[in-house]
Amino acid sequence: MTDEAFELEQGQRSLETERRLARRRRFIQQLQQQGLVLVLIIVVCIMWASSPYFMSKYNLLTAASVVSILGIMAVTETLLVIAAEIDISIGGVMALVSVVVGILVGRGLNVWLASAIGMAVAALVGVINGVITVQFKINSLVTTLGTFSIATGLAYVLSGTTTVQISGSGFGFLGSGYIATIPSTVYFFIGIWLVGAFIARYTTLGRHIYATGDNIDAADRSGIRPNRIRIGLFIFNSVAAGFAGLVVTSELSSSAPQLGDPYLLAVVTAVILGGASLSGGRGRLSGTLLAVAILGVVQNGFALLEFSSYLQNLVTGCLLILAVLVDQFVRRAER
Amino acid sequence: MSENTVPLLEARGITKAYGNVAALTGINFKLDRGEIVGLVGDNGAGKSTLVKTLCGAHQPTDGHIFVEGEEVHFSSPKESRMRGIEVVYQDLALANELSVAENIFLGREMKQPGFLGVIGTMNRKAMRASAVETLESLAIEIKSVETRCGTMSGGQRQAVAVARAIMWGSKVLLLDEPTAALAVAESDKIAGLVAGVKDKGVGVILVSHNLPQVHELCDRVVVLLRGRVVTELRRGEYSIDDMVSWITGAALHKR
Repeated sequence: MTDEAFELEQGQRSLETERRLARRRRFIQQLQQQGLVLVLIIVVCIMWASSPYFMSKYNLLTAASVVSILGIMAVTETLLVIAAEIDISIGGVMALVSVVVGILVGRGLNVWLASAIGMAVAALVGVINGVITVQFKINSLVTTLGTFSIATGLAYVLSGTTTVQISGSGFGFLGSGYIATIPSTVYFFIGIWLVGAFIARYTTLGRHIYATGDNIDAADRSGIRPNRIRIGLFIFNSVAAGFAGLVVTSELSSSAPQLGDPYLLAVVTAVILGGASLSGGRGRLSGTLLAVAILGVVQNGFALLEFSSYLQNLVTGCLLILAVLVDQFVRRAER
Repeated sequence: MSENTVPLLEARGITKAYGNVAALTGINFKLDRGEIVGLVGDNGAGKSTLVKTLCGAHQPTDGHIFVEGEEVHFSSPKESRMRGIEVVYQDLALANELSVAENIFLGREMKQPGFLGVIGTMNRKAMRASAVETLESLAIEIKSVETRCGTMSGGQRQAVAVARAIMWGSKVLLLDEPTAALAVAESDKIAGLVAGVKDKGVGVILVSHNLPQVHELCDRVVVLLRGRVVTELRRGEYSIDDMVSWITGAALHKR
């Protein structure tokens, strides 16, 4: 074979490999997204068949209302995971905000002013998470495990493990209000989801978040400020957790230091199940939306069928591990 | 015009010492617009140290660096990049999950007109079109600007990195072993790319062990030996064997 013929063949071969990889990638991505749709349809069908109450409008709205709280946090957590970070302090932040608001209201402060101070506390935790992780190059899993413990501990110490009644000034609307028969929490979730999805897909900030998680050196060399982006996302995520804490406090009409407990596992599961990769640079909010819906149906189903909440933990844990395995499989298949 | 007589990049008497060990001694180096200069030498001859000094990753112990006649003191590669000196790395430069167009515009995205632009909405169509134009002007063959960079070959990635640098006005490209990890066919494409860059008036410093390629591509070759410039060879005035004998130091003993 002449050199030229050899080169030509080499060139064509690499072009073909490239095409094949691109095709396979598109196929896998569609499969991932459609897989979620399929899973959603399956769990809905199972529930529909198992319980006559499931498809009632009242039940569906209740399920949406419950799952929206974890949905609010899943949106910001997805953006954080795309930037190759993670925040597991959210349960602690929810508890701390709830307790702080409870104490302030107990001292006679206006509920809304107390809420604003609670949100500032959440933002502060976000600043601590972000600055320590970024400036000292610490794995965010460790940083936020630390702040989770600090926030939870603080919540128990401050409250003395007691709950404080909160009511009045329309505070109840946050967690249990309705507009046109749809629960307020659903509006909060959809609102935050729309903003998050718009940022991720259409804005320069969104692109820079992806680049930060994908290749932080390249991002830095491109003049993007990946550290600023990461700190910003930690704050954004912590504020979302704080807001979720307020919503739950409003729903219960009382503050409680243990109210954040069930959320961490569910939020992280929603994010990973939705297709965001823990290695960063990849993930879509449409996937997170579908995953939140799946978790909503599963949670609701367990309640309707009166399964124990321990069993629910077991199933959520399985889903999380399954989601991580799928992510790993997808990455390997693309090579 | 005086602009044409002032070299694009010049180093005078560059010395770099680590304690008592001199990695570079009194290096004089010049690069003009549209010139391709090869930098060759054995392992440890000081090629990488010189490249790192020129781009600001290392600071010289002694000596001066000039860009377009103006003395500069780079304390980091970021500063040299702002003066149009770009080191093209094969692996560091691109985000794998982003497409070719997205990588070319990374950090400098075009925005939509009006309110949408103010809130940061990108004009993806315009960026794609502009990326296609740039790739075509450099004769870079890539199936689509929407291809993810992670699925491309090393040569293609490097081509995209070069296109990106050219598009954003780099005047000096430092290519450190650009063809070391590439197949033969790909390696030849990089050679074509370098020639295209030269036509745009950009100066290229090519550090390479691929001597036939250096011989073919470079207008001038600077040979380093134990931290010193031992000779400069001009296109057409030397053979590959000559170059080898300078690199090994054999040529010094013949005289």
